Amino acid sequence: MGSTERTKKRVQLWKKAIVHFSLCFVMGFFTGFAPTGKDSIFSSNIHVTNSSKNSDYRFSPQPVEMVQQKTSVVNRSLIADAPLLAEEKEEDHSQRQRNEEGKQRQPKLKQRKLIIIVTPTSTKDKFEGVLLRRLANTIRLVPPPLLWIVVEGQSDSNQVSEVLRKTGIMYRHLVFKENFTDSAAEMDHQRNVALKHIEHHKLSGIVHFAGLSNIYDLGFFDELRQIEVFGTWPMALLAANKKKVIIEGPVCDSSQVIGWHLRKMNNNETDSKPPIDISSFGFNSSILWDPERWGRTSSVQSTSQNSIKFVKQVVFEDETEIKGIPPEDCSKIMLWRLHTKDL
Amino acid sequence: MKLSALQQSYMNRRSNSFRGSAPLDSSADGSVKSPAAIFWLVLHGLCCLISLVLGFRFSRLVFFFLFSTSSSNLYPMPFRSTAELGGGALDIRSTPSNLEFPVNKTSIGSSSSRVVVGRHGIRIRPWPHPNPIEVMKAHQIIDRVQREQRQQFGVKSPKTVIAVTPTYVRTFQALHMTGLMHSLMLVPYDVVWIVVEAGGVTNETASILTKSGLRTIHIGLKERMPNSWEGRHRLEARMRLRALRTVREEKLDGIVVFADDSNMHSMELFDEIQNVKWFGAVSVGILAHSGDSESSESIIEKKDDEQNLPMPVQGPACNSSNMLIGWHTFNSLPYVGKSAVNIDDRGTVLPRKLEWAGFVLNSRIVWKNAEDKPEWVKDLDTLGGIGGDMESPLVLLKDPSMVEPLGSCGRQVLLWWLRVEARFDSKFPPRWIIDPPLEVTVPSKRTPWPDAPPELPTNENVVLGIQEHAVKHPTKTRTSRSKRRSKRKHDTRTVDTQVASKHSEQI
Amino acid sequence: MRSWIRVLALLTFLAFAWAISADHNVRTERISGSAGDVLEDNPVGRLKVYVYELPSKYNKKILQKDPRCLTHMFAAEIFMHRFLLSSPVRTSNPEEADWFYTPIYTTCDLTPTGLPLPFKSPRMMRSAIQLISSNWPYWNRTEGADHFFVVPHDFGACFHYQEEKAIERGILPLLQRATLVQTFGQRNHVCLKEGSITIPPFAPPQKMQAHLIPQETPRSIFVYFRGLFYDVNNDPEGGYYARGARAAVWENFKNNPLFDISTEHPTTYYEDMQRAIFCLCPLGWAPWSPRLVEAVVFGCIPVIIADDIVLPFADAIPWEEIGVYVAEEDVPNLDTILTSIPPEVILRKQRLLANPSMKRAMMFPQPAQPGDAFHQILNGLARKLPHKKHVYLKPGEKILNWTAGPVGDLKPW
Repeated sequence: MGSTERTKKRVQLWKKAIVHFSLCFVMGFFTGFAPTGKDSIFSSNIHVTNSSKNSDYRFSPQPVEMVQQKTSVVNRSLIADAPLLAEEKEEDHSQRQRNEEGKQRQPKLKQRKLIIIVTPTSTKDKFEGVLLRRLANTIRLVPPPLLWIVVEGQSDSNQVSEVLRKTGIMYRHLVFKENFTDSAAEMDHQRNVALKHIEHHKLSGIVHFAGLSNIYDLGFFDELRQIEVFGTWPMALLAANKKKVIIEGPVCDSSQVIGWHLRKMNNNETDSKPPIDISSFGFNSSILWDPERWGRTSSVQSTSQNSIKFVKQVVFEDETEIKGIPPEDCSKIMLWRLHTKDL
Repeated sequence: MKLSALQQSYMNRRSNSFRGSAPLDSSADGSVKSPAAIFWLVLHGLCCLISLVLGFRFSRLVFFFLFSTSSSNLYPMPFRSTAELGGGALDIRSTPSNLEFPVNKTSIGSSSSRVVVGRHGIRIRPWPHPNPIEVMKAHQIIDRVQREQRQQFGVKSPKTVIAVTPTYVRTFQALHMTGLMHSLMLVPYDVVWIVVEAGGVTNETASILTKSGLRTIHIGLKERMPNSWEGRHRLEARMRLRALRTVREEKLDGIVVFADDSNMHSMELFDEIQNVKWFGAVSVGILAHSGDSESSESIIEKKDDEQNLPMPVQGPACNSSNMLIGWHTFNSLPYVGKSAVNIDDRGTVLPRKLEWAGFVLNSRIVWKNAEDKPEWVKDLDTLGGIGGDMESPLVLLKDPSMVEPLGSCGRQVLLWWLRVEARFDSKFPPRWIIDPPLEVTVPSKRTPWPDAPPELPTNENVVLGIQEHAVKHPTKTRTSRSKRRSKRKHDTRTVDTQVASKHSEQI
Repeated sequence: MRSWIRVLALLTFLAFAWAISADHNVRTERISGSAGDVLEDNPVGRLKVYVYELPSKYNKKILQKDPRCLTHMFAAEIFMHRFLLSSPVRTSNPEEADWFYTPIYTTCDLTPTGLPLPFKSPRMMRSAIQLISSNWPYWNRTEGADHFFVVPHDFGACFHYQEEKAIERGILPLLQRATLVQTFGQRNHVCLKEGSITIPPFAPPQKMQAHLIPQETPRSIFVYFRGLFYDVNNDPEGGYYARGARAAVWENFKNNPLFDISTEHPTTYYEDMQRAIFCLCPLGWAPWSPRLVEAVVFGCIPVIIADDIVLPFADAIPWEEIGVYVAEEDVPNLDTILTSIPPEVILRKQRLLANPSMKRAMMFPQPAQPGDAFHQILNGLARKLPHKKHVYLKPGEKILNWTAGPVGDLKPW
């Protein structure tokens, strides 16, 4: 062997050694990125064993949030290596797995739109408690998600909260302090309080005003969920000892509103009484807090303190958006209101 | 020193005719290995380990360097930070201006404290929310929790609830029945709903019953519902007896409740009646109303004292030691001369002395042969003669003192009684489907809502509405407009909003 | 080459395995220690406490000046004193005492708005210690190692309401050897001394009792929280208060119908908690809040959002079993985290919470009941017995530096 060959061999050997060392270094480097601390090593190990156990999930794509959680585990282990956290991490991990399982189960879960039902009540109403219970029995049967916003004036009576509490419905009980002598103005204020709540929380769903004396067919709520922007429907107003049934609401050609049944046929527009009942329409709540989405300037919203007024204005101006329900010519009555003197 | 030794070992190995291609694969022919080679091997391994450890340390350093300054780097998603946020302000604006985290955390204090004090980012996730799937999952959890609560605290081994409802087709049937149906659907126990219909079984009623999804027994009775309240009560009592006979024939086991279609129920009632042994009574709140929406003067007069009166209650009366001592009955004295005799009368519809709705009974009481059936019960067959007075279910008993008062001995009102009906000749669309479509009374784009604040229509409104309606109905200009707009052949029918029904013969 | 890698992998694996097994022992030990049955321990007979008689200016007179101290969340210092006075563990013979208690109400100095500002507390504490060390021989025997002090304020014996200042100050030098009974619990914090007993904040027992509703009331709120999200007055920038966690709760979940969160306290606050499944217990300026107590008493699963929090009586209450921990940085995922807990786990947590011993341990009732927070404090003190030999100083030995600390603290009270 020539000396050149020898040196070549030597260089090769050195190269090999250096390659090994650097390989080891890199290996060490990467092990360093594994969670530190005994506990975290433990948890990472658990992770390995668990995931191999549930090999079905191993290859399922992880949701984005989950990836994030994984990284956060590492970070947390840096902050503290308390044994408590180890357990938490393990929990975290099992949660992640459950989540994956959940994701797999997801097709079974039917997504539904949120329904927001607004009900003003008043202690001046003698039958408040009874009617509230009846309405609650109906609302309880509506499949979730549903949020019932019950608005009440401040009073010493806790009847409303007691009735609501026992229903098991997801509700918000809003109480306002203002005093009213005019019951119509009070109702209006109550609805505005509810709308403010929706606006403040940016709740997204279909808003419907349900008076205490309303009676519903359960199918109504399914139809309500179909509303995109605005929906309206006929309702029957019933009164004791009357020969007639009054029907109010839209007249439709399929779901297109082409006219209105009105209680009053006055020709003069100056009439101050509203011809359409507040309960005969529903709307997407996002119009309250995201008017731009509906092609409206937000200035309208900020200037109007009266949310109800605003909503009506929107409907008035954008009638093409109104959808009549049920879509079959709005011909089915699914909402009745009972009028008696005391009810 | 080391290096030279290493060099040396390499030389040695080379001279030991090591295969150059696999200089490290020495284990195979270990016999040839010289101690120097082993030494080299160990040394090599040692160096490898050292570099491993070095690498590890280095990576930790890098790690610390990276993340002790900012934890945000760990987030692949950019979290926005909200700089100026008003606490209770209505519109909290978040400024998406700085996508980076504010990282002016100051680690203060002695070396023993690793607590980071100072300003932290407000993490706002960029993806949409709330996730509808998670919302559904949460509702599943809530449902599960509520079921568990019922299981844990609710009635153990509950009995079937047998609801007995007399009904007939009329304007108010749909809403009354729907209200009752919803209550029954909510009952967390098995329910059998026996509906007895006057005038024979109709599709009208059947279609409501199918919606309930409950086990129903629909019985038709040839007799029509009479128009006097008195006659109605009589017929209803017989209808209930008819249902009890079904209970007897089919040996239905459970608790019978007399649920009229216009009753309103608190859900606690259905828990409370599970406590009944044989024959129980509950208090019924009477929603007495004048059924009158026009004679305004007398109403105003009455209003004041009515406001102060508590809601009249019918039911068992107990003494302080919770023993049944008598009955609270409805005091009809203030209504003398004002009460309604016929269904169309404007006057207060009064309840009987004791309404059936206020009683519950163990269904075995009406069975032909039931074990330990109490002796103080009459047989069902002895009742229900044509002239027999069936004022209340108390007639079933030989000894009315055996009644068990329920609902904190009658102190709790768990259901309410209401009678409100339209006139007997009132028309309504069959199944409440408006067909043919009503006339367009006001065209679209005209008057959905004026600017005036909305208002719950008061009674006067309704009255006014109806009157004016009849008068001012034919408004030709509008209908023509609507035609133009819709460009449809929408004939201007002069049908009233009150719907002409093909249904009248069924009533 | 390959074999080398194999060998290395084996080596690393072995190292890992060793680490795991070591860790595993710690874990099981900890779990067995918090089995929950310790809550039933009766401290009577296991320790004796001597209560120093101090002039009323250290306690009763302070309370007279401001009776609001009886109801705020730091009232434990007052009720602990009252409890000990009539407790059977109290001894009148200091010679047989295991622990010495100094009745001093350091937190009872409220602003008109009801917030305590413990500026005078260090001087007051110093004065009290000076008094007991000159009148009795027991302090000097151990320099406080067998003494305990109730210091329920935000940062315990650091005696400052701002965390940064509190850390700067550190625990009052004179209390460095004493055992502290405090609400404050933040791991690795200068103000949390090792061996301290972490207690729940005071919540009014009668008031909570009065608002109890039947347990069968259906729980229809998924997540409940009432309180501040932003402390605009003290933290106009945002991000300091609650380390941004509360603000994150609001910003991410205000629009989620499952989250019943608001700043407004309704009159039905206690009732609402009883019909909620999860109650958020995020940190505020300090890591704990009275919500923790309320959640446990009302059977609502506490969602603890406070990194490295040390929870009350953590050695006796299995917090991991009854609550849910969410890291502050995971707040944006709160909905995912909570909805992915299996219902069985939720039901189990609820069952554990329903255990009355858990609720009792969170309360300072009047009169005291067996197993209540007073008894848990005594249990904690009893578990520290007997004192180690080395706490007793040799004659003439001095460890404490009476002149340490800020000059302001050294002024007479």
